[in-house]
Amino acid sequence: MPQDKVAQEDIQRRTAIDRSARFPVLFFITSAAAWLAVAVILGFVQQMKLHSPAFLDAPSLFFLNYGRSNPAFMSALVYGWAIQAGIGVVIWLMARLCRAEVKNPITLIVAGHFWNLGVLIGVLGILTGHGTSIEWLAFPKAVWPILCGAFSLIVIWLITMFHRRQDKEVYISVWYILGACFWFPWIFITANLFIHIFPGSAVAKAATNAWFMGSMIYLVLVPIGLACAYYLIPKIIGRPVHSAQLGYYGFWGLAVFGGWTGIQKFMGGPLPAWMPAVSGAAVIFILIPVFIIVVNQLKTVRGNQSAVNSSPALRFTLAGISFFIIYCVFSALSSFLAIGKFTQISLTSMGTQILVVYGFFSMTIFGAIYFMVPRLTGTEWPNLKRINSHFILSIYAMGTLLIMHYFGGVWQSGAYGKFDAPLENAVSAGKPYAIGASVAWAFIVLANLNFFLNLISILLRSGRREIVSKFVGHQESSG
Amino acid sequence: MNSLKQFILGITATFFVPWLCLIVIPHNKMKAEPVEWADAETGKLFTYPAGKPNIFRQGQIVYAQEGCAHCHTQMIRPTYMGFESWRPDFGKEGTVELPIRIRETRSGDYDGEQFAYLGIQRIGPDLSNVGYRHDENWHHEHLYNPQSKRDFSMMPSFRHLYAKRRIKGQRSEHALANIHFKNDETNEYEVIPTERAKALVGYLMTLKKDDPFSSNVEDGSENNEGDGKAK
Repeated sequence: MPQDKVAQEDIQRRTAIDRSARFPVLFFITSAAAWLAVAVILGFVQQMKLHSPAFLDAPSLFFLNYGRSNPAFMSALVYGWAIQAGIGVVIWLMARLCRAEVKNPITLIVAGHFWNLGVLIGVLGILTGHGTSIEWLAFPKAVWPILCGAFSLIVIWLITMFHRRQDKEVYISVWYILGACFWFPWIFITANLFIHIFPGSAVAKAATNAWFMGSMIYLVLVPIGLACAYYLIPKIIGRPVHSAQLGYYGFWGLAVFGGWTGIQKFMGGPLPAWMPAVSGAAVIFILIPVFIIVVNQLKTVRGNQSAVNSSPALRFTLAGISFFIIYCVFSALSSFLAIGKFTQISLTSMGTQILVVYGFFSMTIFGAIYFMVPRLTGTEWPNLKRINSHFILSIYAMGTLLIMHYFGGVWQSGAYGKFDAPLENAVSAGKPYAIGASVAWAFIVLANLNFFLNLISILLRSGRREIVSKFVGHQESSG
Repeated sequence: MNSLKQFILGITATFFVPWLCLIVIPHNKMKAEPVEWADAETGKLFTYPAGKPNIFRQGQIVYAQEGCAHCHTQMIRPTYMGFESWRPDFGKEGTVELPIRIRETRSGDYDGEQFAYLGIQRIGPDLSNVGYRHDENWHHEHLYNPQSKRDFSMMPSFRHLYAKRRIKGQRSEHALANIHFKNDETNEYEVIPTERAKALVGYLMTLKKDDPFSSNVEDGSENNEGDGKAK
């Protein structure tokens, strides 16, 4: 029958695309996973160090002091894991969405090597005492041109891919991917030039740093995460996105407000008051596109409980989306002066970063990896239980971290707000919560151990081999 | 939406405006112009900001490299946001008096610095005015063993900025007092700060972000002559 023939051709085409994408995508995913391992271990260490400086306090281990392990952990998590895994998934998504095979993978591999080299120098640089103490830009100054060059190569490759597309329709995920590709270099170069190179007011530089983090979250991590969600949810459910119109509004809403965010962190600080005020307003207004996006995705899922139950990829993606909405609502609440004064420079600020990078972004990327890797390797995930433990432990850990960081931050700031109480009260106030967060970090380490073991086994081909992966569920819908 | 050009134009337009307003313009406009003001009583002229970097830059590099800003802020917000400037045990060692002029930090206080380390979290106390609170020896002993000064402290030891060495002849004049050695090492060994430790403490001693900027500012200290930057 002709229909069958079309479907058959479709599957063959997809298999060919997956095969062509295999090498570069797996390169990025495995090296990102290695950085995730470094990041979660450093994450646990830095969290322990926060409340118990005596932990691992041998004279030769001075490089693990909180002031070094915390930025090393954050940088490894953001640049080593999040962005790199994002690049891996984005390459595959672009190949699939443009219906074009991956050509010239060498460019990607070279860029990937440089990226990893940059992150390695950066993390070692921080640990050996050459960091800058600038949030999310803590790498030694020399590193950023390497990262920038590597990313530019990837952007050029992705744009070439877009031009080679076989499918004339541009899917919503592609907008997000192209958006992130366009925004990241702009944000990254701006922040580095204005902070490290150009002379200028020291306070304006601090504001640029805060803006950098806000923009990185709303215009790089969020678009890549949403690109995955917009692709995976319809794919696994087997029906198109609920409303293209809502998708359109969601994207442009994010684009309009995303660049204004970040500086609300310095409410009441030594900046002109309008800067944090504008940022705070943007973070509140961004709830509009965020709700549009989330409604659009939940409407797509509605009525497909069985798919959610049977597909780990979908479960991870939906968990990511849930953390995304929690993050956006919390950030909006923190933009009000009455709440922000408790949350802006306390334990909460670190918790918020972990919430968006691990809770939202990583969970979505895990979903994409669980969907993608079996199709790339032609092998099933060897152990379903490990995927479930990865999911459940991650959710529990993230929930615990959320409570510890938010309540801890508010409690701690409240204690600092009592002007007549001695310093000891204020310092001790956050301690129980920091201890609680350490327990959560132990769970995150355990959760990701499951992920690493599974990933290693599938790469070593110990899983059941099939041509078309059924495990991750459901016959893929075409498109 | 199928044209890449249109798309790029759209996202450029949406991103260019915040980029211009939050980054480019503030960087150009926030360079503080020194403003002269006269003291109402004495008629003496002052400028704010003084126009020279008030901090010891070498030490600030160590401050950044050791990641101090991850736990300490240098930003005093107005009192409606909290009370960061002073607490009862912030005073000079052994006293509870208010040692400093208290006001919120302003943009000019960071004039001449490479980067304003406003802070990330507040695990320890605010350091905007730490230069008033302790002397150099206190800082060295505190950095070497924070819990010896504050038993509740969650600050790590910065032993790696100090060298422990066998005493040869005279004790070094820089050697830290009040260090508890194991066993009978007390008379044999001494701990001396490295250049990095000296730079860091030098920087902490220059942290006095309280320049008066107009005659309307209440001056809490008795000694309000000069610009308060004796260091």
